[in-house]
Amino acid sequence: MEGFFSVFTVELLNSGVRLATPILLAALGGALCNQAGILNLALESKMLLGAFVGILAAYYLGNSYGGLLVAMIAGGLLGLLFAFLYHKYRVDLVILAIAFNLIIVELTVFVMRALFGNVGSWSDPSIVRIPDIQIPLLKDIPFFGPLLSGYNIIVYFSWLATIVMFVVLYRMRSGRHLRAVGENKSAAETVGINAILLQTLALVISGALAGLGGAFLSIGHLKLFTRNMSNGRGWIAIAAAMFGVNHPIGVFLASLFFGFADAFSVRIQNVTDLPPNLVKLLPNVATLLVLIIIGLRSVIALGMARRRFRAQLRAEESAIPSE
Amino acid sequence: MKDGRFRKLLDAILVPLLAVLSGLVLMGILILFLRKPLFESYAVLFANGFGCKEYGNCIFITALERATPIILTGLSAVVAFRSGMFSIGQEGQYLLGAAAAAWLGYAIHLPPILHASVIIIAAMLVGAGYGWIPGILKVKLGVNELLATIMLNSIAALVVEYLVQFPMRADTSAVAHSPVIDESAQLMSFLPGSKWGVGFVIAVIAVIVIYIYLWRTKPGYEQRMAGQSRKFALFGGIPSDNSAVRAMLISGALAGLAGAIEVMGVHRRITTGFSVGLGFDGLTSAILGQVHPFGVFIVAILFSGLKLGAQIGLQLRLNIPRELGGTIIGFIVLFVAAGKLYEESIVRAREWSARRRGSKLKGESP
Amino acid sequence: MTLAIEMKGITKFFASAQVRANEGVDFSVESGEVHALVGENGAGKTTLMNILYGLIKPDSGEIFIDSQKVEINHPDDAIKHGIGMVHQHFKLVPSFTVAQNILLGMEPSQAGFLNQQNENKLVDELAKKFNLPVDPTARIWDLPVSMQQRVEILKVLQRNAKILVLDEPTAVLTPQEVNELITVIRGLSKQGYTIIFITHKLIEVMSVADRVSVMRGGRMMGTKRVSETSIPELARMMVGREVLLRVKKKEIQRGETVLEVRNISVADVNGLAAISRVSFQVHKGEIVAIAGVSGNGQTELVEAISGMIHLDGGEIVFKGKPINEASVGERRDLGMAHIPEDRMVVGLNLQTTLDENLIVSRYNHSEFSRYGFLLMKTIHEFAEKVVKAFSIAAARPGEGIAMLSGGNLQKVVVGRELSGNPSFIIANQPTRGLDVGSIEFVHKTLIEERDKGAGVLLVSVELDEVLALSDRILVLYRGKIRGELNTATATEEEVGILMAGGTLEDLKQYKEDNEEGEKREMKS
Repeated sequence: MEGFFSVFTVELLNSGVRLATPILLAALGGALCNQAGILNLALESKMLLGAFVGILAAYYLGNSYGGLLVAMIAGGLLGLLFAFLYHKYRVDLVILAIAFNLIIVELTVFVMRALFGNVGSWSDPSIVRIPDIQIPLLKDIPFFGPLLSGYNIIVYFSWLATIVMFVVLYRMRSGRHLRAVGENKSAAETVGINAILLQTLALVISGALAGLGGAFLSIGHLKLFTRNMSNGRGWIAIAAAMFGVNHPIGVFLASLFFGFADAFSVRIQNVTDLPPNLVKLLPNVATLLVLIIIGLRSVIALGMARRRFRAQLRAEESAIPSE
Repeated sequence: MKDGRFRKLLDAILVPLLAVLSGLVLMGILILFLRKPLFESYAVLFANGFGCKEYGNCIFITALERATPIILTGLSAVVAFRSGMFSIGQEGQYLLGAAAAAWLGYAIHLPPILHASVIIIAAMLVGAGYGWIPGILKVKLGVNELLATIMLNSIAALVVEYLVQFPMRADTSAVAHSPVIDESAQLMSFLPGSKWGVGFVIAVIAVIVIYIYLWRTKPGYEQRMAGQSRKFALFGGIPSDNSAVRAMLISGALAGLAGAIEVMGVHRRITTGFSVGLGFDGLTSAILGQVHPFGVFIVAILFSGLKLGAQIGLQLRLNIPRELGGTIIGFIVLFVAAGKLYEESIVRAREWSARRRGSKLKGESP
Repeated sequence: MTLAIEMKGITKFFASAQVRANEGVDFSVESGEVHALVGENGAGKTTLMNILYGLIKPDSGEIFIDSQKVEINHPDDAIKHGIGMVHQHFKLVPSFTVAQNILLGMEPSQAGFLNQQNENKLVDELAKKFNLPVDPTARIWDLPVSMQQRVEILKVLQRNAKILVLDEPTAVLTPQEVNELITVIRGLSKQGYTIIFITHKLIEVMSVADRVSVMRGGRMMGTKRVSETSIPELARMMVGREVLLRVKKKEIQRGETVLEVRNISVADVNGLAAISRVSFQVHKGEIVAIAGVSGNGQTELVEAISGMIHLDGGEIVFKGKPINEASVGERRDLGMAHIPEDRMVVGLNLQTTLDENLIVSRYNHSEFSRYGFLLMKTIHEFAEKVVKAFSIAAARPGEGIAMLSGGNLQKVVVGRELSGNPSFIIANQPTRGLDVGSIEFVHKTLIEERDKGAGVLLVSVELDEVLALSDRILVLYRGKIRGELNTATATEEEVGILMAGGTLEDLKQYKEDNEEGEKREMKS
């Protein structure tokens, strides 16, 4: 089993954090929407759009950071379109998500081929990968140093986003209003909260975050764009949001779980005969279990009131002398 | 009486028709953007998706063959949706059915027709079992079937990927694949050089069977009523929970069947990356086909033809990226989704005003 | 005494329902008083208060607050004028704390940041000020309903309401909690707040209100000082005769018991008793009416008998067989029919055809299905038969029913329910929202069934209907049977007082006192 444990290196952890980042970004957006009462299943399309637009912008602007910004704007705009179609025309969110996921997958490749010829993937030597940053004091901390330092700016941004989202949702007014909208829309509207505005904001922000997550894949990692680059990470992000019960910290940990499983599964192939995919199964099965537990809890809670009532009846019955 | 039915039919196809036309118009716009010949593009698209070349060699046949798995996963979605279960688990059920078929294709050996039949039944059972899970979770624990099937899809994909790469792996070639299935397990094709064969016939039979099931049988009636109005079903004495679970069993079986046919009739084995989103294509066909078996049939063929035409015609002949086909299909779904509700409010407004005109003095309650 | 509120000549006509909800209503409330607004279902009290709160715009009339004419077009306006409303269905966020709910939308913040401790302190002070102790850190979903109601009241007070409108506040409370609420209301009144509460429960009116206004049929019948009136007098004002729909009835030929309900109890969604130890019988060939203002347990009673929900205590015996565990389908097969309260959502499926609606209760039977297949032709013929037998206009087999009028829709329901020759029929508000012709049809049909030997359980909030159709009347109040009357000898006042929570003794006493008074007057 020696080989098995040799996998647990700092590199593995680093890799896990990196792989978790796009998931974390999209999942934070998804969790935000869920908290606002909107099921956002289109994270995949926003991510993919960000990946494509990001690298394209990096190329045309000659600046990768610019590419990141454009990716976020593109994702945000897509989120805005969603909000518009949903609120104005009451289009079913799920169908909307399916449609957009389909469109973006095909459309990005279409534009890529239209611009650059009949290629399977596209890259350009002029594109600069987002560099890793070594943070001066952090990197010298024993053991934790390499874990905290040496990532690119997108990774650090995702950590920052986690903290910011936590603070906003649980310590600030607008965050609380958003959560109220998600839990009881009419209660919020009765006290004058603008539900539509908050839900739209949530969709836009989640679009921007997912777009950035996608850009991480293209500009921050592989330095190219290929068909369906996000490869289901948007759906994993949805799962991570579920698993983290829509709480920023929970989502952070859930994303790490998925990221580590991913990293683990890659490395373990070189070391043992354990099948990699089974490792990736863990977070998915865990998420399903979370769903089941949530269901169980509500069924039990629902039954409790009635059970109490019946117990009370029985108690009264035994107290009443036979009539 | 006949008149009313005809009008309803017209209403049903009006929106998708408009959506398709809008999609084709959009396609024209994109083609113009690429500075490609407009009318020639349309011609090439249709000729290469639905047309026949000179000596009876029809590309349409390929469209039919490509449509086969989509018809079945589409039917799977129809059965689920009509019962009030918004399940998108076709993808996972399809994969598991395919894996079962691929395995039984080489692991057991039986005489020809028996072998194929056993495999088909097994694949349907596997799919049904996998469909049962979200069904029972919804009914007993109230778990959202949409979220559950998303997770189950991921799980199935991973499990099948594992199976292909390890236990079922045939050799050490770069792209993992299972052994080719016995001839006795393969589905016959009707024309040499084409994969169009028994699988398509099965799909057609399935369309008819599901239609009859939903609209002419007792369990189908129960499912539709429970799907349309749970309160009405409870009030009338229809066992809604049972019918929901039954729907998921059938839905899963159909998707599993789709996977089996793909393996048995087309690829003859299962490979890495077997999943190309046929489950989702079935979903979109169901949405566009107005959640009706006949609609699914027509739309699935339309889609396949469009994709084929884009792939062979637009790409190869005019060098227009073939993804145009898929893009337009996505937009058509969008138009239908947005258009349908627009239409719905018109219809509802028509109903409401007609009812007002029809009611007497002290009419409805607010 | 200054008038906190004065509403003059309020009229509101709902075109879609062809109902005159408020007709020239004058309503005034003195500052600092507790004023009860009472009436049966449909009397117009909720509409009047919704107009006051800006949820509905009146067709005509004026509103004065503190003698100043005001325009109230939106709840925001009402709030600005110091009116706060506590609805029957609470608008609270379950996972938030008490403090978070009370301050929702108006949280004090520093650059957008919240201060939880500050909020808790604010709420503590608020609670102390009004002597309404609450735990600011408790989460709403952990609190009992009465406490949630208290949060709603505090919410309204926090927004500087000087006038509180409570809509049927005791509907969700236990008797003990009702007393607590009465104490709270009195306390607030003493502090100078004006309180209006809508109710139909006259006992509560007598114990907490200063004055009471009675509405009936959209009109204001009068306002009395509670100290100068009595439950019987109020009950008399509440129930009135408009149109006497007497249908000719044969002498009752009562047979054996078809339904027996023994000591049944059913809890509502909050775990409180909706139905509490109710027992009664229905015989063949008789119509038993369950009278009462809606919300007293009728829904749960009907659902329990029909099998749509489980009993929590007691048993139901149908044709001599216990059916506690029987499903809806099984009960229907035994001969039970059900005309539900809501024909559009429960009684029918408007998304499908006439045929499919007509067979929902019997699609399993051999006449309509064999070997799992539906016999389409037989079903079609059946639909034709029903349409003809009940003269259902605009309904055609094979077509949808969504466009049918209310009356015709009810005919479809009745046609279906009666086509199986049921031995027992539950008719829950069978004429709600129907035109005169349709009402007549339903009444005639129910009497016919009774004459054919079926047992009918009529649940209705319409006193006319109860008196016209039934052979016996059971009055349901707060989930219990308050009294049983023989229709032939019952008077409107008797039923009315039972429906409002009073007793027949009160009525007798009141009558005796009145006769005494009249006699003395005549003498002098």
